[in-house]
Amino acid sequence: MANTLRLYLTCIRNTLEAVMCLQNFPCQEVERHNKPEVELMTSPELLLNPVLICRNEAEKCLIETSINSIRISMKVKQADELENILAKKFLRFLSMRAEAFQVLRRKPVQGYDISFLITNYHCEDMHRNKLIDFIVQFMEDIDKEIVELKLSVNTRGRLVATEFLKQFI
Amino acid sequence: MPVVEVHQLAQCITCHAWSPDRAMIAICPNNAEVHIYKCTSEKWERVHVLYKHDQIVSGIDWSSRSNKIVTASHDRNSYVWNQEGSEWVPTLVILRLNRAALCVQWSPKENKFAVGSGAKTVCICYYEPENNWWVSKLIRKRHDSSVTSVAWHPDNIFVATTSTDGKCRVFSTYIKGVDSKDLGTSSSRDVKFGEQIVQLDLSSSWAFGVRWSPSGNTLVYAGHNSMIYFVEDICNSPLAQNIAYRNLPLRDVGFDCNPIMFTKDETGLWSFARLLEERRTQSHTKYGSQLSEAFGKLYGQSRHTTNNDTADSLRPRGLTHENTINCIVPLKKSSETIIQRFSTSGLDGKVVIWELDDFAIAA
Repeated sequence: MANTLRLYLTCIRNTLEAVMCLQNFPCQEVERHNKPEVELMTSPELLLNPVLICRNEAEKCLIETSINSIRISMKVKQADELENILAKKFLRFLSMRAEAFQVLRRKPVQGYDISFLITNYHCEDMHRNKLIDFIVQFMEDIDKEIVELKLSVNTRGRLVATEFLKQFI
Repeated sequence: MPVVEVHQLAQCITCHAWSPDRAMIAICPNNAEVHIYKCTSEKWERVHVLYKHDQIVSGIDWSSRSNKIVTASHDRNSYVWNQEGSEWVPTLVILRLNRAALCVQWSPKENKFAVGSGAKTVCICYYEPENNWWVSKLIRKRHDSSVTSVAWHPDNIFVATTSTDGKCRVFSTYIKGVDSKDLGTSSSRDVKFGEQIVQLDLSSSWAFGVRWSPSGNTLVYAGHNSMIYFVEDICNSPLAQNIAYRNLPLRDVGFDCNPIMFTKDETGLWSFARLLEERRTQSHTKYGSQLSEAFGKLYGQSRHTTNNDTADSLRPRGLTHENTINCIVPLKKSSETIIQRFSTSGLDGKVVIWELDDFAIAA
């Protein structure tokens, strides 16, 4: 792992550890409802300051916190058009299966590629540090995954081209 | 701070309360039910299930003299449970709330109880014998956000509240016909119901867990910014002391009159507050005989690591709580003058009884 990536991930991990102090908190606006305050944003006093962690312009992570939920949005590195298409398709594939991931948001926050929404219920059901591990691991793997996809696309492209050009020999 | 007993009673416990004789415990297993467990020969058995609420129960308090249980729930209702024979009979309390009830506490005389709510109000409920129901009076328009915790002053009149707007307030709850004239100090008698005595704006973040010292001289509360605030001499000239911790936010606070303050950080390390020495000498002279009556502690949020160190031994140990601790209750037997034990429950479903050993008190 590159050194800057480790620093970036450590920073995210520390921030997550600090913000993931959630509690059950019923809605102040609607009777008998219990909603993630970070999504509603109706009571400003229940929100904390959002934290933006940037590695560079293309890679950043926004962590928004409220009393009963946090939202983590990230932008994945996209060096060229191919990576852009791959990242978009891959993250769309994941977002469509958000139920299976529980903490994944169905739609990313505007300006970001993928978002997670963690509520107090997730913290009750799951181990807090495992959740943090999952998020950090996900961020670590996503770059690798896209690089691998890119490689395989290129390899396949080369193979197809070679096969195609054979007929002209 | 040795752990005396650990009981795994449910998967997740949101709050708990002990019966007056400490033989039974009422817990809410993170749903709409209240389970009462009884200790029979080293084993905890579920003897009653109180099922009347239809949303998660957020607060339980068991009165020590009248043996009544009051529960508050996110479904906006509160019930007072009375034991008749082997059954617990609920009485609905009309709180007149339109949002969730978040916390509940009996007053020291047990003729009133206070309910904090998400409707930014506090309900003071009292029993009306002629109608045979509990009536609620509301303190409105003072809080800017949900009321997270309530605590009664020992004089049965003042009630302190903390709110997610970061403020701690003290109100008078003098109700004609319920509180007799000779009660309380002269200052508390003159104040009308719902009057705000003081507003403390020390915390920049959400405030949780408020407690009075048994003498009623000191108020203590904690903030989400991992600070704990002591305020002395509320009625005349409030004097505040703040302690900041570098660990995760504090969820609740207790108070110890012989002020041993404990905090537990995310690695499970118990540490003494820095002001301990100083405060201790102060309160010895001040509280004298009441030294032991108070009791409290405060706790940090979740801890999952595998080490648990105590302040006195710093010895690594298997961690007792594996998730956020969200409820803490002092245990006092009527025969004892010194409170040496307290219990904590958390989202990991355990109830843990801690004992303050002599070393901790002397330290």
